[in-house]
Amino acid sequence: MKPIKLYISAVLLTFAASACSIDNYPAPDSQLFGTFLDAETNEPIEQDIIRGSTIEFIEHGYDSQTKQTMILKNDGTYRNNLIFSNTYTITPVRGNFVPTEPQEVTVKGETQLDFKVQPYIRVKDVRIEKVGTKVVATFKIQPTVINNVKKIGLYAHPEPAVGEPIRTVLADQEINAVADPNKVYTLEIDVPSNSSNLKTGSQYFFRVGALIDAPESKFNYAKAIRLTL
Amino acid sequence: MKLFRYILLLPLLFSLSCGDVLDKQPLDKLQGENLFSNPEGVKLYMANLYYQLPIEDFTFFRQGFNWNTGDPNNGGFAPAMVTDEAVHTEFGDFIGNDDFQWWDQGYKLIRDANILIDIIPTLTISKDETKALIGESAFIRAYAYFALVKRYGGVPIITSVQKYDGDVEALKVPRSTEKETWDFVLKECDIAIQNLAESWPGGERRATKWVAYALKSRVALHAASLAKYGDRAPISGTAVDQKLVGLDKSAAAEYYKAAIEASEALINSGKFSLYKPTPASPQEASENYRELFQDPNIAPNEVIFIKGYARPGSGTGHNYGIWYQPNQTANGWPHPGRMNPTLDLIDAYESYTDPGKSAPIVTTETGNDINDYNGFNPAKTYKRYDDPAGIYKDKDARLWATVILPGTAWKGQKIIIQAGFIKPDGNPQLFGGESLSANGKIYYPYGAADRTQYSGFDTWGGNNTRTGVSFKKFLNEGVNVAPGWNQTVSDWADFRFAEILLIYAEAIVESGTGVAEKGAAALNQVRRRAGHTKDIPLTIDNVIRERRVELAFENKRFWDLIRRREYHTLFNNTLRHALIPVLDLRVTPAKYIFIRQAIQRMNPSTFDYRQYYRYVPGIGANGLVQNPQY
Repeated sequence: MKPIKLYISAVLLTFAASACSIDNYPAPDSQLFGTFLDAETNEPIEQDIIRGSTIEFIEHGYDSQTKQTMILKNDGTYRNNLIFSNTYTITPVRGNFVPTEPQEVTVKGETQLDFKVQPYIRVKDVRIEKVGTKVVATFKIQPTVINNVKKIGLYAHPEPAVGEPIRTVLADQEINAVADPNKVYTLEIDVPSNSSNLKTGSQYFFRVGALIDAPESKFNYAKAIRLTL
Repeated sequence: MKLFRYILLLPLLFSLSCGDVLDKQPLDKLQGENLFSNPEGVKLYMANLYYQLPIEDFTFFRQGFNWNTGDPNNGGFAPAMVTDEAVHTEFGDFIGNDDFQWWDQGYKLIRDANILIDIIPTLTISKDETKALIGESAFIRAYAYFALVKRYGGVPIITSVQKYDGDVEALKVPRSTEKETWDFVLKECDIAIQNLAESWPGGERRATKWVAYALKSRVALHAASLAKYGDRAPISGTAVDQKLVGLDKSAAAEYYKAAIEASEALINSGKFSLYKPTPASPQEASENYRELFQDPNIAPNEVIFIKGYARPGSGTGHNYGIWYQPNQTANGWPHPGRMNPTLDLIDAYESYTDPGKSAPIVTTETGNDINDYNGFNPAKTYKRYDDPAGIYKDKDARLWATVILPGTAWKGQKIIIQAGFIKPDGNPQLFGGESLSANGKIYYPYGAADRTQYSGFDTWGGNNTRTGVSFKKFLNEGVNVAPGWNQTVSDWADFRFAEILLIYAEAIVESGTGVAEKGAAALNQVRRRAGHTKDIPLTIDNVIRERRVELAFENKRFWDLIRRREYHTLFNNTLRHALIPVLDLRVTPAKYIFIRQAIQRMNPSTFDYRQYYRYVPGIGANGLVQNPQY
């Protein structure tokens, strides 16, 4: 009887051991990062962190063409530190720049992939200052396409991620016309009439943006500016 | 010898196998053929189909339908809370990816309807009965596909029972285009209209020709608005390229026409009218409107289709009666007061003094600051009122029947909603703090000493409104609902004549076709019932405002924002607002002032374009094309 028991436990142990063989698939061991750059000026293109431009990528070698997405940071950079080494079809979509073609990219190790694109609008010569009890922004907008400019805005928020979707106060204006690149636009936020969101003595971030009239387009911005009220 | 004996026994054993003594029929279940061979069986089967209908009633919320079985605890959430109609007392949730899904259940209902449709020709029943079954099953399928297409765009159209014979691939049906799917729904409505009788002999709550017309007008208006306004929120992707989502602008005309014709059929039938259409005063109008929702059965001429709740209990009662009572009338239920109607909705109601437009609540003498939500400002001259509901004077009667205003009576109690006071020295003390003695009286921040004696602003238990008003529509003033699950048995009016009139008006003004005078008459008929005596012109703004007000909390607003593609502009980093009543102790006797401000403890909400369509579940297995951006 004793040997049988011994055999049984030995067999069971073998089964148990073989049942938990090591998962030998590679982990997501690569990093993909880069910046969206203005093809003309080579400057990073400012973005929105929510409801902003998106990168879609499809991993090769699988039947399902499942699209994965990455979002951009406000400064126009993106980074994915946990991506599988493989070949991908990568397309920037629904952005604040003229759409680009998909590209095939091999990601292995530290892979840098910058996108040189044409922003819909360049927001230029921005000055945001506190004048009396108002915050006044002056700027020019230079569209790079023939479409109308839909809207311009000045946005305020306590966080540097300020933009049209992330703001506590805004001053905006519908344009709905082709913009004159030399015209100086002025937008103002009155501080006292927004006293619950803009407190005197506190610091806030202000950012100027403009939206082109194109399907699924996103706002173009100048860099956010920090002001103490 | 022994062996021989066994061999002799063998035939006996085999003979047993010839009988079917082992093929037992279950005693507690009906077999398919028995079910359909008996008219009572068909009726039973039909009851189950109606139960599964995606009716957006008291038990509908973001996780599905019939949320009154098993564990019905949904936290007191209602679809109104992801619109500008209301917020929850505690939670600030907006629309999530998994919300408002209805896929598996939808195709289950469609399969069940198809089983019936396939079997109708084999039944030995009269011609009239056959016709009724054809009409009814088409109605159910139309209702189900409408619920699918408004969520997902084009979906697989399955018109007969699928049979599995070893090949899974054969069961996979690709998505039809969104246009094809809407057309299919309208075609099913037509089959229902052609085959259904005008009523049921026993007055049963089943689909009739008129219910089918009502469904068709709702469906056609939805499709028409999508076609007209789809480009307000452009989307891209494979599903768009294959036209699985999206309608061409050119389709709007035919759909508006269908909406006009279907609603006109109901209007011209002479069978329907508004409940108590010409009240003598706003007070009377308010009471009529309240009674209509307390029990829609009192208005058989207005209510076209009812979903009934017969007895308290799991699957047969609902929970509006416990979740939405003001705190003071909780009747022992620990979690009342969940529905908090917003100032944004209240503003939309017209006033009798200046009809034809929204009448935002003006809180100061200067009256130029309705967009100032910064809170109390000592420099302002606030209007002062003796009556805490005084500021709502002259507002549309339906406001008084839809929400409980501060200081008004409900179930024999004065409902106290107060956010705090302005101290005699001019400093505000809002949302809590100690009581205060002034003028020889003790004043409590929330208007009363004990937390069972007020219904506003105290965060305790999440039981007190944070918008300044409590909820009233649908609640029964005469019934003290037992403090437990599924104890409310009020009925739901799924289609009302008022909605048909407004569909008619909207389709006329949006399409620029039809007779504009008739559209205006339909619009003003609904307003007249609410005590308005001055007619207003037919404009789209007037119709939409009227829909918001007349159909408030009937779970229409969510779909109105979707179909008109207005969600992303209305909810773009948007805060919803409250009107807080505050006792002003700077004057003797103390009076009430009101402050327009953002709702406490709420974050702004933003609607993402992709949420105009829900994601298609299970594409890994069903092989369907996913909706954009999922």
